[in-house]
Amino acid sequence: MIDIRRARINLEAVVDSVRRDDAGAIVLFVGSVRSDEGVRALDYEVYRPMATKSFAALVERAKEKFGIREMSIVHRLGRVAVGGDSVAIACASVHRAEAFAACAWVMDEVKRIVPIWKTEVAGRKDRARRLR
Amino acid sequence: MRIQVRFFAGYREIVGSRALSWSAREGLTLEELVDGVLAKYPRLAGHRATMLLAVNHSVAGSDRVLREGDEVALLPPVSGGVR
Repeated sequence: MIDIRRARINLEAVVDSVRRDDAGAIVLFVGSVRSDEGVRALDYEVYRPMATKSFAALVERAKEKFGIREMSIVHRLGRVAVGGDSVAIACASVHRAEAFAACAWVMDEVKRIVPIWKTEVAGRKDRARRLR
Repeated sequence: MRIQVRFFAGYREIVGSRALSWSAREGLTLEELVDGVLAKYPRLAGHRATMLLAVNHSVAGSDRVLREGDEVALLPPVSGGVR
C-alpha cells in the first residue's frame, strides 16, 4: 500500500496491508506531530506524482536490500494537528531484525529524498515558520 | 516548445505561483531553463546550490535536454515525515 492522503491514517489497515502467512514479524513505524512551543499543527505539501513514484521505488529497494516480504507507506497531506499521525510505515519479514532495519532505513530515505515539505502552523500569537 | 515548470514550498511563495508554462527553443537543457527561471525570479537564485531538479517526476541532471510537454519541478530541500 502506497498512499498520500488528507484523511487520518488507519494504522490497523496499514498493518493488515502487509500481513502474509510467510512473514513472522511486522514492524509498524508511526511518525506523529510533536508538541513544540507555539506549534499547533504542521502543514504538509507533497509533489504527489513524484512522491508516489519515490515511495514505490523505496519499497522495491527495501525488498532487495533487506529481503523483506512486504512494505506499506502512508503519508499525510495538508494540515495535521499536534498528536496526529503524519506518516506510517509497515514492514513484514520472515524474522524481526530485517523488518526493524528496513523500517528505519526507509524512514530515513523518506526524509532525505521524497518531495514532501512541512510548515509549522503557529498558535495565534506566533507566526508560521517553514522548516528548512 | 512549451515546458511546464512547477514550484513547491518556499519557491512557490517566491514565485507566487504553483506552476508556469515556459516557452523554450528546441534543444534547451534543464540548466538553461533553470538559468532563465532564476533570471526572471532573482530571489530564487540564492537557493540554487540546494535546489533539486526533476523532469517528469524523476530527479534529473542539469544537462538533460528538454522536450515538448516535459514537466520540470524545482524542489527545495525536502522535510517529510517527522522531525
